[in-house]
Amino acid sequence: MSKRSESYGYMGVILRINLTSGAITREPLDMTLAEKVIGGRGLASYLLCHEIDPAIAPLSPDNPLIFATGPLTGSGAPATSRYVVVCKAPLTGTIACSNSGGFFGPELKFAGYDVLIIEGESPDPVYIWIDDDKVEIRPAGSLWGQFPVATEVEIKQATHPSAKVASIGPGGEKLSLLAGIVNDNYRLAARSGVGALMGKKKLKAIAVHGSESVTLHDPEQFWKATMDMHKKITNDPISFGSFRAYGTASLVNLINEMGAFPTRNFQSDTFDGAADTSGEALVQSVLKRNRACFACPISCTRVSEVTAGPFKGRGEGPEYESVWALGALCGVSDLAAVTKANFLCSEYGIDTISTGATIACAMELFESGVLSEQEIGFPLKFGDAAAMVRAVIMTGDREGFGDILADGSYRLAQRYGHPECFMGSKRLEMSAYSPRVFQGMALQYATSNRGACHVRGNTVAAELYGIPRYMPPEVMEQKEEMVRRPFQNSTAFVDSTGICLFTKFAITHREICALLAPATGIDFSFDRSIEQGDRIWNIERMFNLKAGFTRADDILPERVCEPSPDGPRAGSRALLQKNLDTYYQLRGWDEMGRPTAIKLKELGLEDWWGVCGS
Amino acid sequence: MVHITVKLNVSLRKYRSSLKINEEMPILIPSDTTLAELLEHILQIPAEEVAIHMVNGIKSDMERILVEGDKVAFWPPVAGG
Repeated sequence: MSKRSESYGYMGVILRINLTSGAITREPLDMTLAEKVIGGRGLASYLLCHEIDPAIAPLSPDNPLIFATGPLTGSGAPATSRYVVVCKAPLTGTIACSNSGGFFGPELKFAGYDVLIIEGESPDPVYIWIDDDKVEIRPAGSLWGQFPVATEVEIKQATHPSAKVASIGPGGEKLSLLAGIVNDNYRLAARSGVGALMGKKKLKAIAVHGSESVTLHDPEQFWKATMDMHKKITNDPISFGSFRAYGTASLVNLINEMGAFPTRNFQSDTFDGAADTSGEALVQSVLKRNRACFACPISCTRVSEVTAGPFKGRGEGPEYESVWALGALCGVSDLAAVTKANFLCSEYGIDTISTGATIACAMELFESGVLSEQEIGFPLKFGDAAAMVRAVIMTGDREGFGDILADGSYRLAQRYGHPECFMGSKRLEMSAYSPRVFQGMALQYATSNRGACHVRGNTVAAELYGIPRYMPPEVMEQKEEMVRRPFQNSTAFVDSTGICLFTKFAITHREICALLAPATGIDFSFDRSIEQGDRIWNIERMFNLKAGFTRADDILPERVCEPSPDGPRAGSRALLQKNLDTYYQLRGWDEMGRPTAIKLKELGLEDWWGVCGS
Repeated sequence: MVHITVKLNVSLRKYRSSLKINEEMPILIPSDTTLAELLEHILQIPAEEVAIHMVNGIKSDMERILVEGDKVAFWPPVAGG
C-alpha cells in the first residue's frame, strides 16, 4: 500500500497480523480519526475500544496487542522515540498502555507503519519480521526461553544487522502478569502485564527494519521549532543537567528528606538506606556511561555494571522507580543487589515496580507470620538483599513460590486473606511518591485509568519542583483541576504524539503543539490539544467502565489513608474522598464516575452513549 | 548562636567535596539568620544553583529565620519519573 499523500507526520498505514490464521493485511489510517485522537496512546485506545468487547478475558486470543507510534515518533525532533503497547491489561483488567523509548518505535515508522495490530494466537512460538513491505511470521523455536539480549543477537543475525527488536523474556513466555515487552535490549514497555499477552500469543519477538522517513508538512517551520526545542532542552538544568549527570535516581534523597519515600510496603515514608541507593551513589559505584534514545539530547539512560561480588552483572539502570521498588520498598539498601535485581528484571522482561512491590508484599506477609519459610523456601525478610534478589529470579522463572509472586501483589494478598497488604489501585502497584504526602498524587493514583501509576499525571512536578507552578503537596484546594487538566489530560496528549514525557521539564505543552502543526498540517492549537487529551482520557475511562470498573475502584489502600507513622510528615494521610466528587464534576461525570451524555457529545463520543451513561 | 545541620545534595556537594552523600554538616550560625543568608553568606553557594530548599523536610521560604536544631537541605534542579 502506498503512503497517502496527505498523511504528513503519519505513515498512513495500519499493519494487521493475525497469528491464528497467518493473515497479514494493511489498512489506511483514517486521518479524521487521527485528528481526533492523534496517535500513540489516543489512537491505539480508540482502536482497542472498537476492536473488542472490554469485558473479554485479558488473555483471550480476541485481545489484540496494539503497538502504536505518534506523528512525532521518528520525526527527528528531540526525544521522539516513543511507542506504546495497548491492550486489555492482563494484570489489572483495565485498559493497558505501556510506553517505551529506544529505537523500535521510530523503526516501525521507517518501515511504513503507524500502528501494528497483532490478533489471535499462534500454536507454536513465532517471531514477526517486518522489512518495509515484506512481512513474515517466522518460527521462533530456538529463541523461546532466551533473554532479550540473546534474542536480539540471534534475530539480527537471521534478519538484518540494523533491525530493531522488541521481545519478551521468560517472564512473558510464562505468562507472568508482571511481564512487559523489552525493546533495544533493556528498555521495557513495562507495566500492566502486556508481556503476558504477547507470551499467550506465543509471539517471542517483533523485528523491524525500515528505509522510509517521516514526511513533514512544513519542513522549514518544523526544523525551526525543533532547533528552538533543542536549545531549550540543552540549556535546561534538569533535562541537560541532573538527568544526564545523576539520572532520575537523584530524587531518592529528596523524596526521602521530605518523608514521602514509601518504605517496607508503605509501612513508613522514610528509609534509612536512601543515601546508599541514591543517584549520587549510583554514579560513584555502578554507572559506566550514558546512552540516548532516538534523537534525544538528554541521554538519561544509565549503562551500568556491578563489577564484582555476588551481584555481579551488567545492563542498564536502575532508574528512580526501580531503585525504590527493589530497594526501600523491600527495605534493601545494598545498591549492588538493587542494581542486580534491576538487571534480572530486564532479562526476565518483568516490571521492576510491580516486581519489587510484590516481593515487598510477600516480605510483610512473611514477617507477620502469614507466609512460612517452608512455603517460600527461605526467610523473606525486609532488608535481606540476597533474599530479594533470589525472589526476583524465582518470580522470573515461576519457580516454586515464584509461581505465586509472578501474578503480582493484588493476587498474592488476596490469596493469603490479607487484601489490605496490596498497595495499589485497580490491581496495579503504586509508585515511589507517598500519597499520604502528595495529595495530588493520591487523587491521580486513584483515578488513573491503568491503575495506580505516576506517569498518567506526575503531579510531583507541581507539588515539589513547581512545574508549571508550585502547589504545596499537603494542600487539597484546586488539586482536582490540577490533576485533571495540566497533568492527566496533558499527559494523555503528550503520550499520543510520540515525544518523551521527559521533555516536559524543559519545554511546555504549547511548544509540543508548535512542533505538531508543521509536522502534520493539522491544527494542534493548545486548546484543541487539551480537548484531545480530555477525549483520550474519557475513551480510556469508558473502556474501564465497560470492563466492569466503577467508582468503588477509584480508591487507595486503607493504609495510606491512615496517618503516616514517622518522619517529617508524621500524621499526614491521603485525603482522597474529599476531592473525588469535585474531580468527577470537573470531568463532566456523574456521581458514579460515568461520563454524562453531555460530556460524551462534547467530545464527539456520543456513539458510546447508552452503554455506561446515567 | 544556634546549631543547625546542612545537607548539600547532588551537584551542590562540590561546594564541600569532603561531605559524603546526604551527610549532615553541623554548623553554628548567628541567631536570626535566614535561609537566604545561610546559603549565600555562610555557605557561599550561588542562589541560582539551588532550586529546592527544605527545613526539617518541608519546602521553606528563603526568608525563614533558622532556629536551634533546624535540619536544612539544598538541591539543584532535579526531577524524575
